[in-house]
Amino acid sequence: MTAHTTAIQTPVRHTLWDAPKKASVLVVELLAGLNPLVVNRLREMGLEPGQQLLSLGRGPFNGPLVVQIQDCVYTLERQVAQHILIQPQL
Amino acid sequence: MKKIVLVGKPNSGKSLLFNQLTGLRQKVANYPGVTVELKSGRFEQFELIDYPGAYSLSSLSRDEEIAVSKLNDALQDPATALVICNLDATRLESSLMFGLQVQALARRQQKAVVFALNMADELQRFGHQLDTVALSAALGSPVFAISAKTLLGIHEFRQGVLALASAAEPAVPSADHGDEQALRDLSRSLSRQYGIQASLVLKNQNRIDAFMLNNLSGGLAFLAVMFLLFQSIFTLAAPLMDAVEAGIGALAQFVTGFIGAGTTTDFLNDAIFGGVGSFLVFVPQIMMLTLIIGLLEDSGYLARAALICHRPLSFFGLSGRSFIPYLSGHACAIPAIMAARTIESPRKRLITMMTIPLMACSARLPVYALLISVLIPERAYLGGLVNLQGVAFFGLYMMGIVIALLVSLMLSRFVISRDEKSDMPFILELPNYRLPHWKPLIVRVISAAKSFVYRSGPVIFAVTVLIWLFGYFPHDAGGLEHSYLGQIGHFIEPVFAPLGLDWRYGVAILMSFLAREVFVGALGTLFGIDGADENIAGLAANIQADGLALGAGVGLLLFYVVALQCVATVATIRAETGSNRIAVGLVVGYGLLAYALAYLAANLL
Ligand SMILES: Nc1nc2c(ncn2[C@@H]2O[C@H](COP(=O)(O)OP(=O)(O)OP(=O)(O)O)[C@@H](O)[C@H]2O)c(=O)[nH]1
Ligand SMILES: [Mg+2]
Repeated sequence: MTAHTTAIQTPVRHTLWDAPKKASVLVVELLAGLNPLVVNRLREMGLEPGQQLLSLGRGPFNGPLVVQIQDCVYTLERQVAQHILIQPQL
Repeated sequence: MKKIVLVGKPNSGKSLLFNQLTGLRQKVANYPGVTVELKSGRFEQFELIDYPGAYSLSSLSRDEEIAVSKLNDALQDPATALVICNLDATRLESSLMFGLQVQALARRQQKAVVFALNMADELQRFGHQLDTVALSAALGSPVFAISAKTLLGIHEFRQGVLALASAAEPAVPSADHGDEQALRDLSRSLSRQYGIQASLVLKNQNRIDAFMLNNLSGGLAFLAVMFLLFQSIFTLAAPLMDAVEAGIGALAQFVTGFIGAGTTTDFLNDAIFGGVGSFLVFVPQIMMLTLIIGLLEDSGYLARAALICHRPLSFFGLSGRSFIPYLSGHACAIPAIMAARTIESPRKRLITMMTIPLMACSARLPVYALLISVLIPERAYLGGLVNLQGVAFFGLYMMGIVIALLVSLMLSRFVISRDEKSDMPFILELPNYRLPHWKPLIVRVISAAKSFVYRSGPVIFAVTVLIWLFGYFPHDAGGLEHSYLGQIGHFIEPVFAPLGLDWRYGVAILMSFLAREVFVGALGTLFGIDGADENIAGLAANIQADGLALGAGVGLLLFYVVALQCVATVATIRAETGSNRIAVGLVVGYGLLAYALAYLAANLL
């Protein structure tokens, strides 16, 4: 068996939901599919491309995500956090 | 009268500032979304209006919608002299944006604006100096650093506000900061320049949350807090209740000994000490409940509890945001139903409002406490840590919650339809942990007791006097059974007989549709007339001596867990939902369910 290691780079899409605990990440994009009112609110909370976030982990029982945005800590439910595309901060 | 409006982000200390300026006592608590309607008061020659908090001019929830639309109205109104923009000085970055939006709006309407940077005491604690002069120049409106808690800078602020509001020419913001994007950039750069570092402010909070929101310790902490809450209402208040009971007994002895036997003494013993007195015994419990809920509200933990409950509550068609209305429903359903305005999803809000009446509100406390002490022996385990009656209490609270969850599940699955706004997601800010603000808390505890007495006192007094009159006369006919009341009672008895209850309980239940706690006063009077030995205030003992079957007693408890017997609650539901059908439907539905459960208990146990 020959190993075909031609890496077809499917970029792994990390969302905020999957961000590890205590990780500092950057917002890449807000994915389509959320209610426009909610998107607007998220933007006003500072969830914009380029914004730095500190993921504080998920609540008990796989509960909502806790994240620090600027000088506030918010909890976001899964459905929202999965619409926020991030990349780890280097 | 000229008006001053007070707006800002949720939980930024608006209501505490309002209270300090007006001397009123609006509710202040440490979670976002406490104020859900406009509240006004007098500040010198002005009318000061406290607004619900809002994160932004485009609102998500009902309370924000009220804040934003009423702010627009106020800006159009020629009587509005000044807009106070209250910001959390420790979180400039996230609060300046809304401040700038409001400022731009006010500028367009040629209204004066002043910024109050609240919580300056916390900045001081971190040794941070806020340059209000430079900030005010950059913003183009006056800026004051204040603390509504320690009153730091409040004197200057008062003077400033009075001067600005009475000025002939309004101090319209001098600078136009541009469009939304420009505002966002400005708020960012200003907060970098003048604000305190976020990591400093959030350090403690995040450290505590690492424990409180951890999978294991967080879950355990939540259960412990809830158990202590409900257990302590009973155990901690018990000695105080005994003291009140003893006091009333002693007073009765003294007064009646003074007057001597006769109709007056009978009246005092039965109606006043037996009826009204048996309800005063519960005042310490009301105070304890208010104290503990107040401590939780001040601590900042409730937002965490909402987070922890979000997933389990979602299963039942509710939101994590339903948690706080549910919890405050244990004090009184009316403010709790109003508090449901903070739930973004209208559907979840409706379900929450419809099930809040099942929370064991403080009017049920006297009924529960009485029946528990009749039915459950007083026994303690683990060296007094767990008390059997306390556990029964806890069980009744839980039962209310469990039934509410089941009803929610049914409503969300089968009754209330979905619409596009129904899936508004759960987003909640977690406030800083804070130590209790003792002075307002103590005041609140005392006023809870007062309002319990003032609200129910007159009703209970009237009912007990009426019951006594009808139950005592004709006096020579051979006792209660043959009194006027007895004759009426026998007429309604068939309704309650299937529940294993005689007509005296029937009368007390019917009377308690005026207010639940009337049940205790009414029974107290009835057993007082009946009791041969005039054993005052020992109502539980009297009932035990009279004999109340376990099944019937448990049925009676279940009846009170479920039945919606509060006119004011029904009126609030009607007002908040705008629907007569829902209000009437709930009374009938819960009434039937209550009766059915009581029937089952009486016949199966
Ligand atoms: N340390 C400190 N705490 C404050 C100050 N002002 C308010 N607080 C606390 O902040 C919390 C929120 O206060 P509220 O007055 O209820 O805030 P609000 O802006 O009316 O909140 P909403 O009605 O939810 O919009 C409470 O726990 C207050 O005790 C202050 O100047 N210093
Ligand atoms: Mg408020």
